[in-house]
Amino acid sequence: MTKILLRNIDVPDFHRLVTYESAGGYRSWRRVVENMKPAELIEEVKASGLRGRGGAGFPTGMKWSFVPKDSPKPKYLVCNADESEPGTFKDRLLIERDPHAVLEGTLIAAYAIQSHTAFIYVRGELAFGTTRLEQAVAETYQAGLIGKNIFGSGYDLDVIVHRGAGAYICGEETALLSSLEGSRGWPKLKPPFPATHGLFGCPTVVNNVETLAALPWILDRGAPAYAALGTEKSKGTKLFSVSGHIAKPGVYELEMGYPFKKFLEEDCGGVPNGKKLKGVIPGGSSMPVLRPEEIENVNLDYESVQAAGSLLGSGGVIVMDETTCMVRAAWNIARFYAHESCGQCSPCREGCHWMEKIFHRIEHGEGEPADLDLILNISSNIMGNTICPFGDAAAMPAAAFIKKFRDEFDAHIAEKRCTLAN
Amino acid sequence: MALQFSPETLKKFAETVARYPKKEAAMLSVLYLAQQEFGYLGPEVIAYVATLMGQPPAQVQGVVCFYTMFNTQPIGRHHIQVCRTLPCALGGAGRITACIKRKLGIDIGQTTADGRFTLSEVECLASCGTAPMMQINDDYYENLNEEKTEKILESLT
Amino acid sequence: MDPVKITIDGKEVITSKGKTVIQVADELGIAIPRYCYHPKLSIAGNCRMCLVEIEKMPKLQIACNTQVAEGMSVLTQSPKVLAVRKAVLEFLLINHPVDCPICDQAGECWLQDYYMEHDRQASRFDVGKVHDRKKTIFGPNIVFDGERCIKCTRCVRFCQEITKTNELTVINRSDHSTIALFEDSVLDNPLSANVVDICPVGALTDRDFRFKVRVWYLQKTPSICPGCSTGCNISVESYQNRIARFKPRINEAVNSHWICDEGRYCFHDLAGGERLTTPLVRQEGGLVAATWEQALQAVYSGLKGSSSLAAILSGRNTNEEAYLFARLMKKLRADAALEVFYQERQLSEVEKILVSPDRSPNFRGARDMGVGSSDGFDGLLRLLLAGDFAAAFIVGEDLTKAADPATVRAALQKLSFLVVQDTRVTETSKLAHVVLPAMHFGEKEGTYTNRKGRLQKLNAALIAPEGALPDSEIFAGLLELAGEKNGYGTPGQIFAALAREIPAYSKLTYDAIGAQGIELDSGGRAAS
Repeated sequence: MTKILLRNIDVPDFHRLVTYESAGGYRSWRRVVENMKPAELIEEVKASGLRGRGGAGFPTGMKWSFVPKDSPKPKYLVCNADESEPGTFKDRLLIERDPHAVLEGTLIAAYAIQSHTAFIYVRGELAFGTTRLEQAVAETYQAGLIGKNIFGSGYDLDVIVHRGAGAYICGEETALLSSLEGSRGWPKLKPPFPATHGLFGCPTVVNNVETLAALPWILDRGAPAYAALGTEKSKGTKLFSVSGHIAKPGVYELEMGYPFKKFLEEDCGGVPNGKKLKGVIPGGSSMPVLRPEEIENVNLDYESVQAAGSLLGSGGVIVMDETTCMVRAAWNIARFYAHESCGQCSPCREGCHWMEKIFHRIEHGEGEPADLDLILNISSNIMGNTICPFGDAAAMPAAAFIKKFRDEFDAHIAEKRCTLAN
Repeated sequence: MALQFSPETLKKFAETVARYPKKEAAMLSVLYLAQQEFGYLGPEVIAYVATLMGQPPAQVQGVVCFYTMFNTQPIGRHHIQVCRTLPCALGGAGRITACIKRKLGIDIGQTTADGRFTLSEVECLASCGTAPMMQINDDYYENLNEEKTEKILESLT
Repeated sequence: MDPVKITIDGKEVITSKGKTVIQVADELGIAIPRYCYHPKLSIAGNCRMCLVEIEKMPKLQIACNTQVAEGMSVLTQSPKVLAVRKAVLEFLLINHPVDCPICDQAGECWLQDYYMEHDRQASRFDVGKVHDRKKTIFGPNIVFDGERCIKCTRCVRFCQEITKTNELTVINRSDHSTIALFEDSVLDNPLSANVVDICPVGALTDRDFRFKVRVWYLQKTPSICPGCSTGCNISVESYQNRIARFKPRINEAVNSHWICDEGRYCFHDLAGGERLTTPLVRQEGGLVAATWEQALQAVYSGLKGSSSLAAILSGRNTNEEAYLFARLMKKLRADAALEVFYQERQLSEVEKILVSPDRSPNFRGARDMGVGSSDGFDGLLRLLLAGDFAAAFIVGEDLTKAADPATVRAALQKLSFLVVQDTRVTETSKLAHVVLPAMHFGEKEGTYTNRKGRLQKLNAALIAPEGALPDSEIFAGLLELAGEKNGYGTPGQIFAALAREIPAYSKLTYDAIGAQGIELDSGGRAAS
């Protein structure tokens, strides 16, 4: 199958400019700056059907087009490299092994919105990845690929690699902007939207690493080549991070629409040690878990997974076998959200930890029969009522685990312990 | 004796601030410089950074206390951060943490008496495919088992 | 002003572009509950209490951050909205301590009030509340309780946006988020106690008021602050005939939603002290009690017989009192030197937001009434201390606080006749030949004219102690001895008289003043 994002991932020293360029790197960038108008570029990316790969799946070209072209304010392009969604580790791979693809994509996106300052916001824990990106940026400055009057076109572009400091919420675009402005990572109220009022109140676009890394290929081969891959509404390829009880964990690139079951059993080697699949989360911990029977006919694209009652999200596939206590798993995830809530709005600030505490007491043998419906109710009270989607991200898995594994939860409560064989 | 950056760090500070369109955007980067220079971000350091950045100290404190990678207390030379989120938990993170506790004789949140290690549990580090794993200072240690973990600890002075 | 037509709860209304749903609702008197929204602070949108249903929008929207759009249809009482209010209240209550029995906010607490109005469900929370610092001193006037705090951030925004002093911040994350000061810094800016007013719950409470009296026992009287000539609108809140606290009243033309700390607590001094409850006349042994008849006669004789007279009125006397005072003094001696007490001080930047540099709330009104000369108060004081006057009549001020006390005392002792009219014993009253017990700002009805020329009304909140008379009655009594019987019964009648005489007040009527006051140059139209 066509590899776009991972096509060079195993090439030694591919993080170095000389290697990257020898494989055709920055050819697209040069073409964009020398031959394309921003409007053309936006249309091209729209035509490719590329959708945001951070989790929301919003059409990238359309997002770019929301930036007001004649605004007198400076425009900003931010590469969201704050990958923190549990189960997701694909951006890290690109940052560490193919940073120039990420960078070139960042440049292309910046040009599309006529930004002259691009930021790459990297989560603080990825120290090695940050170094790789900084080196890549330094190399491109030296080579005159960025900076002032690029290729003599009159277009200026600076790139700043900015380190986060440990907060999952900073992956949410407006929280990222608050953090980039030097504040606590508090999401901002929308409206207004970042496209018109983003960083420092200026028009801003935030794109995910994987989204941006696809751009050089798309610009090189053309939008139709990208749009020829995938399904009608989910074009191109996507990276899937596979972890948990699986024989071959790692990052895989699939054409959109690839059958989920086949992917797990064949490409990823299936559940090891002769165990049976019990549940799988398709798109990072925020997304509802699916039972094995629920993925029978599911394909890995946005629409198919949504129809199955979950979401493709970041493509973080977490596999759980029959030895997994779902109560414990649900508690683990609830604890994650309780820890990462920014604390700004009441439903999330108070509700996340409330759910965690109830899961905790169920897991430790002190659950009450009413606890499950209580969690479901708390979850639905959080959904849709918060400043940002974090509330939904915390609410969905809590409800999904209970709904999909109700019997196990009931037994765990009744028996006051985990009822699994081991 | 008032606290301040060394001349080299002051230079780095100036370069850092100059990169950003607005001074306040450099806050996280400046706090990292301060943490590196002074070991941790205590009240004196926060007050100093506030003066450097032209911001109220209360505001800087609000920022420092929000992010997990800023330490407001001194920690050991090697900060062991074991990931505890679901994929690592499924991969046996609990055993790794128990092993470290045993080996070092400390609990989560504590530092060894000789100041060598501090142990923390952290959330997902984007290394789920190589679980269980831990981060020590800037380095990731992946695909751990108890034996490997002990060897890593022994190698760090 | 682009007109926009929207519907709220089925009612069509024309409003203007740029307004938010909550603003329109407030204007129409449609109650949408809220915590973090405050009309004078930036929009935080964090409490989620104001979520309303907007037709055609799938999710509920916060009214405070939703701008009106043509054809928008808002529902503030739909089943979804009623349900979400219960949900939000539940979230706010799960970690809230059941402190009501010991919390000053009880009776004016927005958690209590909204719970009774919108919730009323039993608690479902039994997994251990989050704990935080309790009764933490934030400053000389403010105590903080972290457990009661609902993190609405009004206090933080107040210190950032109104006083711009930035003392407060939010620290930590998740449900360990809390409000904090930096290290050992103190919340003591000149407007600090306003955070107590804007805190919807008992997280920030007033140290001065702590545990004094339950708010439902308070009698609330609208009045004007006697602290300075800004004339902030206040509510004098009293219990068992004693002032328990001041609270601001909203007046966009004067003080917006705020009062300064000095004004807020000035009643302790101004309404306190050892009250005078009987006229006193000096005999050989000292000051002895006398009847009003005796005392007024002594005053009249003493002043009539003096060769020169300095008459100083307090800046806290009303226009009605000042009017009579001016008439009286001129009647006693045509060349009497009259001044209203007026001394200026330096103001800090934060004080300048609200405070005037004087401590004479009605200096302008008094001067309008004729209590003033070309020398000004400083000039008159200098002459008085230099011994230029044989007699003096001092109302409501202790002059030993106006200049070097020893110098003042020496000068006052040299006077051949000194009359002091005040509410309590002072260093000045101790030197008088006649002392007349009067009333303070909280015991009288009347008007003040603030520095900017706004006429505002004081109302009596307390009953003065037995033996004291209103200043206007004392002046009227003296005027009668001087041959002018006027028979004014009420401040309104005195106002009518002064309005006839003083051109700047001629178009105004007492009844038109209202709760928000009236500009002198408004031509008689009441303030809106």
